[in-house]
Amino acid sequence: MEALFYIFAFIAIFSALMVISMKNPLTSALYLVLCFFALAGFYVLLDMQFLAVMQILVYAGAIMVLVVLVIMLLNISRLNAVKTDFHQKIIGIVIAVVLFAEIVIYTVGGKTKKPTGIFTHAVINKIGNTQVIGQFLFTKYTLSFEIASILLFVAIIGAYLFAKKKL
Amino acid sequence: MNNYLIVAGIIFCIGALGVLMRKNLIIVFMSLELMFNAANLGFVAVSNRLNLISGDVFVIFVMVVAAAEAAVALGIIVAFYREKGTVDMDKANELKN
Repeated sequence: MEALFYIFAFIAIFSALMVISMKNPLTSALYLVLCFFALAGFYVLLDMQFLAVMQILVYAGAIMVLVVLVIMLLNISRLNAVKTDFHQKIIGIVIAVVLFAEIVIYTVGGKTKKPTGIFTHAVINKIGNTQVIGQFLFTKYTLSFEIASILLFVAIIGAYLFAKKKL
Repeated sequence: MNNYLIVAGIIFCIGALGVLMRKNLIIVFMSLELMFNAANLGFVAVSNRLNLISGDVFVIFVMVVAAAEAAVALGIIVAFYREKGTVDMDKANELKN
């Protein structure tokens, strides 16, 4: 388990770095798919197989296909690649390092709460993780579920409006 | 759990770096997806540590929002490209003067 964690962590961080450093957007998109697969591996290690499957189906499948389709549609060649300013790079690195330092300070220095829930590893495996998530989704979080459906509906209309010939 | 949170933090910072550093709209969008995923990993790790399910349910809602955001953002990128003929973010400067 420990070894798997470090393998997935290495793949995820390496491919995330590749996503932001590649010149060609298509290469970035493929590295992003690799990163999503590594994150799905993390979800399996954390006893959430359902989320791992959703990660691969929704992110690595649907969303990335949409991104690759748009890259293909726009036909961005290497010749008109977008350049990055030097000062922009410096500012970005400084902000990212400060942000990371804050995250490490709060993660390592903070106190961890005692486990409060009842859904331990054994309980989740007994009921099945899909059932547990479904149970919560359709009882405690029904309102959020309905609002999510409205959000998707609005997104369909928004995407249609942007895709029209004249804005 | 701390290891997972630190990995999530690293991926989040890489995503933030991509958003701040790159000017290609598509790569900025993909960096945003990286940040979403880092947050998801944090939710699942904490939820696993505290024996809760709420974090895992929340990840599903984050995925819904990310899917909606992807559809609209890619529509905007296509419209932008049609208007300007490029995906350079610096060309979106109508409000500057």
